[in-house]
Amino acid sequence: MMRAAIAILAVLIAAPATAHDLRVFAFVEDDMVNVEAAFSSGRLPQTGEIRVVDDQGAEIERHAIDPEGVTRFALPEGHAARGVVIEVDAGNGHSDYWVLTPEDIARGEGGS
Amino acid sequence: MKHLPLAAALLALGAGGAGAHYGMIVPSDNMVSQEDGRSVALALSFSHPFEGRGMVLDRPEAFTVTHEGETVSLLEQLSQTTIMGAPGYEMSYPLDRPGTHVFAMTPAPYWEPEEDVFITHYTKTYVAAYGDDAGWDAELGLRTEIVPLSKPFALWAGNVFQGVVKLDGEPVPHAEVEVEYYDQQGDAQVPSDLMITQTIKADANGVFTYAAPRQGWWGFAALSTAPEPMQREGVDKDHELGAVIWVRFEAWGR
Repeated sequence: MMRAAIAILAVLIAAPATAHDLRVFAFVEDDMVNVEAAFSSGRLPQTGEIRVVDDQGAEIERHAIDPEGVTRFALPEGHAARGVVIEVDAGNGHSDYWVLTPEDIARGEGGS
Repeated sequence: MKHLPLAAALLALGAGGAGAHYGMIVPSDNMVSQEDGRSVALALSFSHPFEGRGMVLDRPEAFTVTHEGETVSLLEQLSQTTIMGAPGYEMSYPLDRPGTHVFAMTPAPYWEPEEDVFITHYTKTYVAAYGDDAGWDAELGLRTEIVPLSKPFALWAGNVFQGVVKLDGEPVPHAEVEVEYYDQQGDAQVPSDLMITQTIKADANGVFTYAAPRQGWWGFAALSTAPEPMQREGVDKDHELGAVIWVRFEAWGR
């Protein structure tokens, strides 16, 4: 189930991993999405944009990257059952994504 | 020219293994991407990896995961299983965070009557989660340990693997390192039993180098004798300390 969902979502975005490229990890905690973005060197992107996309590839909302390294926002309503994709674009071709699967979201909803 | 079927036949007659025994931790994957799922399966054993012969692994004294400098015990989460026909342990570990997760086992000392020695193989392997290799060179501070100089994952077959052999935190000059392939398919052939376990030596700084000829899991065991003997029935016996690391090499892609 999860693999199938991820495979479909992953096809929507192509983000090659190259030197000094961006690495994105996201998780849900207390119904808040936490997006961590850093370059492979460990440095943090100072500017850029996060796109939250649904499982059909349609944009739900956008957020500016928090230059402290972790961007937090409320999980958009109505998407927990199907999952969302967190796309991060730090400019100059530095982009990556994380798929928040329904399982990932369930683990962090109303949790500790 | 001796072929493996003959060696296998001799083994069946009870001639004893030509290969070495290794503490083993073999993960289902050592570069887990988000598409692979959110966990890794771990198989712990005490085995002859080239010949695929298992030995009994008693419940380890310690089994831990180290991530971003924090070490957590996983001993209570191990469950018994059978690996290469002998008792071993397994578990599924949830990878909650990106980065390198280092799994390490300290087995109980094993009495080897044939060699009149106690053996303890401090065994570890490195798993990178979600495209993040931070922490790949982590030193755990084990009694004896191979500290990687090459990233212990993301290696092509043919690449060299380099590490420093340490005992009690100090490099071991000219340490002897045994290298053995884990023949999971059971189809590897050797022209001589000398090829089952290859032996190399570290340089004066304890640094060794090995180029793996084939994809798959390779075990490196640096063996030292503990300065203090162990007692068996009131008699002093040598205690062999092994620093073991399991490293996977990947087939060259097209």
